[in-house]
Amino acid sequence: MSRDAMVWWRRAMRLSWIRIPCSHAHRLLSERMDRPIKPGERWRLWLHLLVCDMCSRFERQIDFMRTAVRRFGQ
Amino acid sequence: MEAGSLEGSLEALRPTLLAIARMQLRNETWAEDVVSETFVAALEGSRKFAGQSQLKTWVVGILKHKIIDQFRRTKREVSSDAQLEAAQVETFDELFAADGHRLNTPLDWGDPEESLSRTQFFDVLQMCIDKLPTSLARVFMMREWLDYDTDEICKELGITSTNCFVMLFRARMRLRECLEMQWFGGAAP
Repeated sequence: MSRDAMVWWRRAMRLSWIRIPCSHAHRLLSERMDRPIKPGERWRLWLHLLVCDMCSRFERQIDFMRTAVRRFGQ
Repeated sequence: MEAGSLEGSLEALRPTLLAIARMQLRNETWAEDVVSETFVAALEGSRKFAGQSQLKTWVVGILKHKIIDQFRRTKREVSSDAQLEAAQVETFDELFAADGHRLNTPLDWGDPEESLSRTQFFDVLQMCIDKLPTSLARVFMMREWLDYDTDEICKELGITSTNCFVMLFRARMRLRECLEMQWFGGAAP
């Protein structure tokens, strides 16, 4: 990320309407496996995932669990 | 396929089928019933099988239908369990600070795909699913293994879609935690 983008990003993240906490991001990551999430939710989640390694990891892990469970009986 | 040899092959699959049925139904009697029904249906339909697909895949397909029938037969009990579970509140306070920030980092699972080639991994996965509260396991398995969509789950269990999303979330959180402790956290053999 360039320096300008970084500054812009920090500013954006200070805006409360766009920022979601990890607890919300976790919930959205789970829910989007079960329902289409709304554009606003998708956008906030996307921004959150850009900066949050913990939630990105969680995302990969629950995706993997789905793959694994589907293997039962195969 | 001859009836005799089919019976033998089915018997060999019994432990696997029972384990899957238990995981999904969370009731020993029901699990044994659905496996017996699956065998009866497989033997009756053996001409249809005619070896066009793998025996296991074919039998597991029958098992799925029998599990769904079982849920319908015992709908009242299954849905009252689910409604009780839906009333539980779980906030995962140990994971998130008051402002919603995650407190501990999930471990790096490395290349989890590699685990899929190991049978012990599936034993651990099964153990973790068995440790979930009854209705969480049922809802989770309905969604992920029976491939129901959430509307169908809500209809079968008489819960709201919000309940359903919350229960799936709780199941995933707990299952992830268990896998991390029992498998990815260095407990792997």
